[in-house]
Amino acid sequence: MTSLGTMLAWTPFLQPAPGAQHWWWMLVIPMALGVAMAYKAIRVASLADWPKAVAKMTLQIVAAMLGIAVGLYLLVVVLLPMLPAE
Amino acid sequence: MPNDTETTFRPLGAILGWVFPGLGHIAAGNVRRGVYAMTGVLVLFLGGIVVGGVDCVDRTEDRLWFIGQAGCGPIAFAADYANTAFLKSGDAAPMIKMPTPPGAPEIAVSSFKGLAHANEFGTLFVFLAGLLNICVLLDAAVRAPASDGVQSGRRSGEGAPR
Repeated sequence: MTSLGTMLAWTPFLQPAPGAQHWWWMLVIPMALGVAMAYKAIRVASLADWPKAVAKMTLQIVAAMLGIAVGLYLLVVVLLPMLPAE
Repeated sequence: MPNDTETTFRPLGAILGWVFPGLGHIAAGNVRRGVYAMTGVLVLFLGGIVVGGVDCVDRTEDRLWFIGQAGCGPIAFAADYANTAFLKSGDAAPMIKMPTPPGAPEIAVSSFKGLAHANEFGTLFVFLAGLLNICVLLDAAVRAPASDGVQSGRRSGEGAPR
């Protein structure tokens, strides 16, 4: 866990974020948001639709990542151990 | 007579888009679109630097990643310069000697160097910012000037029902 002291001692932009090592998987949300913001800015026909399109694409990316994670978990933890050893 | 779907390539739009994300659209009069694109690219770029530190942009150690990151334009080169000037020089934080095989030259790295997930995600964020900015600057080169919300300014197929 990230202590308050570690957070206070952090120099943003020079040092890596102190919590990133522990909560790295949460970074998929800002990553999906940034990708959706830039992509939808050039893709939507009407800019009034931009916020809605960004929200939708962000959710789609996060849901797809979760789906892949669950699928790989089932493959590695459930299905592969069921295979015969020899 | 040219039809609505005909596109003209404007190199200046692409160049301005590389100089700063979204600038190609803004200079062409598509201000709102340019600001939205700039926001998206900068969220990824600055997010990457915050997560991984300035060390996640490194022209010499992470050359392949930097090729993509360079799509962000001069800000990527500025981040690489800051990495060299502040971190690799030892100005920002003390250097740590790395264990090396006997006879090999000594290697020292900054104690602010990013490792593992923080470095991986920071590098990935800035890389994605670079790739998306290449899409944005290509769009700035082919989009009709001052065409935000104007039907004839659309590129072929854009907004078409699927």
